Amino acid sequence: MKWTDNLENFPYPFKGSTYRYSNNSVPMKKPFCIEVTPDYLEEMKLKRDLLTHHPERCYQSLPHTLTGQWEIVELVMDHLAEQYPNQFSLEKKGRQWRFHNKILEEKHDFTFGDETTLPDEPLAFISKHVQEDLIFMMQRDGDLFLDAGQLCFPANWSLAFNLGMKFKSIHHPIPGFKEEGLDDRILQFLMRLEAGNPWERKNWSLMAGDRLDTSLETFDQWGKLRKQVTKKNAGELVHIRVEVQKLFRLPRTNGILFTIHTHLLSLEKLASNPEWLKQFYEILSELPPHITDYKGISLYKNEVLEYLCEQLESGKVL
Amino acid sequence: MYKEKTIPVMIKDIKKETEFVKRFTLASVDGKPLPKFSGGAHISTYIEDGDLLVRQYSLTSSPDNTKHYQIGVRLSDSSRGGSRYWHQNMKVGDKLHISYPKNHFPLSFKAKHHVFYAAGIGITPFLSMMNELHSRGTSFELHYASKTEEACAFYEFLQEHYPIQCRFYFSNKKKRIHVSSLEEHPIGTHVYFCGPESFITDLTESASQLGYPASSVHMERFTPLQPKEVKAFMVLLKDGTLIEVTKEQTLLETLLNNGIKAPYSCRVGRCGTCELQVLEGEITHYDSFLSEEQKQSQSRILTCVSRAKSAMLSLDI
Repeated sequence: MKWTDNLENFPYPFKGSTYRYSNNSVPMKKPFCIEVTPDYLEEMKLKRDLLTHHPERCYQSLPHTLTGQWEIVELVMDHLAEQYPNQFSLEKKGRQWRFHNKILEEKHDFTFGDETTLPDEPLAFISKHVQEDLIFMMQRDGDLFLDAGQLCFPANWSLAFNLGMKFKSIHHPIPGFKEEGLDDRILQFLMRLEAGNPWERKNWSLMAGDRLDTSLETFDQWGKLRKQVTKKNAGELVHIRVEVQKLFRLPRTNGILFTIHTHLLSLEKLASNPEWLKQFYEILSELPPHITDYKGISLYKNEVLEYLCEQLESGKVL
Repeated sequence: MYKEKTIPVMIKDIKKETEFVKRFTLASVDGKPLPKFSGGAHISTYIEDGDLLVRQYSLTSSPDNTKHYQIGVRLSDSSRGGSRYWHQNMKVGDKLHISYPKNHFPLSFKAKHHVFYAAGIGITPFLSMMNELHSRGTSFELHYASKTEEACAFYEFLQEHYPIQCRFYFSNKKKRIHVSSLEEHPIGTHVYFCGPESFITDLTESASQLGYPASSVHMERFTPLQPKEVKAFMVLLKDGTLIEVTKEQTLLETLLNNGIKAPYSCRVGRCGTCELQVLEGEITHYDSFLSEEQKQSQSRILTCVSRAKSAMLSLDI
């Protein structure tokens, strides 16, 4: 199985010819917190395997998050049923709800607000029906805290480590984030998010290999591939990894739901679009060391640039 | 431009609470459930009356009630159209748009005990906060000042639901909230003030003198801090246009009237949406959004409430 999107659906992240960290969020046109793609079945199988075998790594929650977890269940189910009526349905009779996932052929009857009627905690339960990782940030006493989350496909971070931490502490390792005042600005932006007005942004990095589950805890298994990149194999081995991140204010708890849908595309496929190839080559050539280091590209950046350059020359689009 | 999404609603019921306060019940036009909200939340209401009247009102109903919202509106002596329209023109069956619920006055998560101080219509945000704490089983108390028992909005409701937690102070009975009341709360208490400016200022100063940490003191103003002396000033835009902001208008209103798509949302200096970069000139800040440090940097302005200190401001728009 190759975790690679096709070109038409790939959320290409770049604008212009340079890249720097910024709050590149935009108001969402279609305000849905989830998306079902052709990889749904394969990704659900992988996600459920990971949740079964590595529960600490993939799911964490603090006890005061239950109301927020139910809010997330309602939002996600409403959006699934509304946007994909042929794949999902939701019947509500007062607090008695029936959720039908027609793709996985699963029906769940439960009482909204009563955890004992679900097989898992509410957030864990609903996360088994969507490709997105789901993060719940609580706004408490003037700050944002990561208080619950289901994270199967992290880009080199650890949910267990970050649980209960403040927004700024979580983002502390990003070089320049604090120095450029971005941490304050983005925190303020998040704190002023309003219900009914969701935002989205795209984040990107490069990776050697095509694993979705690149957690910090399993770095020993996937990090070493970075050393194997050559100009010859870069097109196949190296993937651009794009996270479509969506932000929803949850009105009942005044918390924030942060959904992350991860997409992978091989450089080979990226390079088949001449405009993307040219633009990505320019951006990667210009990328300063503090960003390539943090994104884990430094070790094989030259090989990738050589590969891209060769593709450009062969296509004569320089 | 950021323009918030709204919900179409209909007036279902109007009750006279007191001589000057009416309680309005709103339901969605299409029958869909309204969003739940958190204790202390409010909505913006949009009314077309020649001009667009945008006003903020606390939600006074239960946060889990998705069938109806309720708001309490006091007829203001100095109404610029908002509360007068609500009191004199609004009828059952009328339609209007409202924002999604927002919360600029949330309950503290870490508080051991919550104490609310309300004067007059300042009671409204505390109704949903008390509902939330009551259902959580958390301890709280209310100190509520009013001119008379008859003028005391939601008096019967409070007596019925929270008889132990409420203390009333009627000035016609020579009872007033005294700041020394703040001395009686245990360590770990968070205090919340809502009422006229002088009420909030007195309590806030006393709390500070008594040693309450600033993070344990919360307040909501009916209106943004008012400039004491308003003067006209000029603004220079990026394209070289020079426009005058008169004494009667806010900077935001002037920008919008001149066809400039300036961002905005709350219009009371709370949400930060209307922030613009200031390239030159001095600012007097009247907002409750920017930090002290950001205000001192003199590099950004919330156009909905803040004004120029210098004769001219050069803006990045």
